[in-house]
Amino acid sequence: MNIVVCIKQVPDVPNIRMDKERMTIIRDGVESIINPNDCVALDAALDLRGREGGGITVISMGPPQSEEALREALAYGADRAILLTDPVFAGADTLATSHVLARAIGMLDPIPDLILCGTQTIDSDTGHVGPQVAEELNLPMVSNVIEIHLEDGYLTVKRVHDGFLDTIRIKRPALLTISREMHKPRHLSLADLESAFSNQGILRMGHRELGLSPDEVGFSGSATWVQKLHRPPPKRKGEVLTGTPQFLVEEIIRRLEFLSIIDEEGDNE
Amino acid sequence: MASEMDATERFPMEIAREMASLKYFGLEIPMQYGGAGLDSVSSAIVIEEISRVSAAMGLCISVHNSVSAYPVYEFGTEEQRKTFLLPLASGEKIGTFCLTEPNAGSDAASLETTAIRVGDEYILNGNKIFATNGGVSGINLIFAFTTPDEGKRNYTVFIVESETEGLERGDAEDLMGMRGNPVCSIALNDCRIPIGNRLGEEGQGLKIALSSLNGGRIGIAAQSLGIAQAALDVSLRYARDRYQFGSPIVEIGAIKNYLADMATRIDAARLLTYRASNLRDRGMGHGKESAMAKLFASEIAVDATRMGIQIHGGYGYTKAYPIERYYRDAKVCEIYEGTSEVQRMVIARSLIKG
Repeated sequence: MNIVVCIKQVPDVPNIRMDKERMTIIRDGVESIINPNDCVALDAALDLRGREGGGITVISMGPPQSEEALREALAYGADRAILLTDPVFAGADTLATSHVLARAIGMLDPIPDLILCGTQTIDSDTGHVGPQVAEELNLPMVSNVIEIHLEDGYLTVKRVHDGFLDTIRIKRPALLTISREMHKPRHLSLADLESAFSNQGILRMGHRELGLSPDEVGFSGSATWVQKLHRPPPKRKGEVLTGTPQFLVEEIIRRLEFLSIIDEEGDNE
Repeated sequence: MASEMDATERFPMEIAREMASLKYFGLEIPMQYGGAGLDSVSSAIVIEEISRVSAAMGLCISVHNSVSAYPVYEFGTEEQRKTFLLPLASGEKIGTFCLTEPNAGSDAASLETTAIRVGDEYILNGNKIFATNGGVSGINLIFAFTTPDEGKRNYTVFIVESETEGLERGDAEDLMGMRGNPVCSIALNDCRIPIGNRLGEEGQGLKIALSSLNGGRIGIAAQSLGIAQAALDVSLRYARDRYQFGSPIVEIGAIKNYLADMATRIDAARLLTYRASNLRDRGMGHGKESAMAKLFASEIAVDATRMGIQIHGGYGYTKAYPIERYYRDAKVCEIYEGTSEVQRMVIARSLIKG
């Protein structure tokens, strides 16, 4: 079984700080990591390979330093890594990114049975790339999958959607985005880490190798662009009541009842 | 978990086993012998990171790797590597380095453990103390001397497995810090071991000791770095959150000075450590450099933890905060694997020899 996992190297978002005057992100000194949801997709791939055998290819579009993320994925157990990197890929929105990924995946030999993606990245949070890649490759797609069962030529998956659990059967090859729920904590063996960084090779492909023209990709190939990135100023609607303690207590109870937070006998809802 | 280890003095064997499966007990041992095949700089980083959380566990890993497993790799025959290095690198057996005795600390050459050759065996007699990892070890490197001629001492290293008849482990020491690491005495009473357990040749003992200590000192430097860095991290966090006189105490000049001094000297210690490891990776001599790293890093570990408690104030003196454990852990770094006084001697000798 041949599985492709799409990964992205992202800044470690919880550690990002804001420049409070300019309301922009300070990226300096923030570590780069594999997008955590992509790690879950890789987990799912490793599980499947454990059950069915086969190979896992990890693929990423990014600047040269994304190689680190790919090597980490190799250390976790992926068999092969491909880095799609080219100065003309810069400034890509999700559409342009998906276009590049889909082109590269379409060129793989052997053809993958399954493509796994995270549901969204922690930096952009769009959730677009999985569905867009599936569209371009004309593959059936299910998102937020929590269980995968393989059959001949088909897949049965369970996914969570708006509080419902759906069981869906689709043809292979297919693309799935994997729910965070499938995460299994894994520890890296130091030997695997050393091996991934010292011994294994990574295939690099640019726009020429993919047969893409510069205006199909990157900023030129994008349909959207980010105008501004900022944290909205906190809006707190607060009201300060004043008066005697007797009055305050009665007024607060009245307000809570009005908001149906407590009912009129004073019990919690 | 680290504070539990300190409070209960229990060595967390389950964690050690998991670390073993991830090759933490074979850091610089080549992959063909079951190790992680890391270079010295990477190994120093691993030890620092573990020590940042638990200095006692960092000590276990550092000593096992640099002065127990590595000497077996460096000086062992292929046969010895198969028999002893494989279980050490896989962590199946934890290793010790037994040089110190009741009457032989810094004056290592006055050790009294004897090894008498009888046919195909050696009979060992002596008392080793302060053996790090001793309480859970499977393989012990014992430093003894043989006497081929009257009055001449040939220092020799022997690999003695813990189950060997005649090897007795004492109770774990009740220590100020590094609690949970099972440091104990190891007594040898007419302990018979096959000649195949001798590491290197008779008379090579001092050479093996000095060579191992070069790597060991880098390990302790890394361990000290971990402790110092932990002290800085918690102190910075505390100083930001603690308000006195209407502002966080991080705005007070005296506190800023402490933090700046800690950070600067920790950085310097780190660079000294990486410089020594880098020389080692390039196969170059690094005796003076590893002594410098160990000396400097251990002293900043003690100073940084002291300043850290000061920054924490009264709360720093309680066990509710980890800084007091870091302070207790740090002190021994100035003592073991060669006291600071010995390190200065080593450095001065290197300068004088020119």
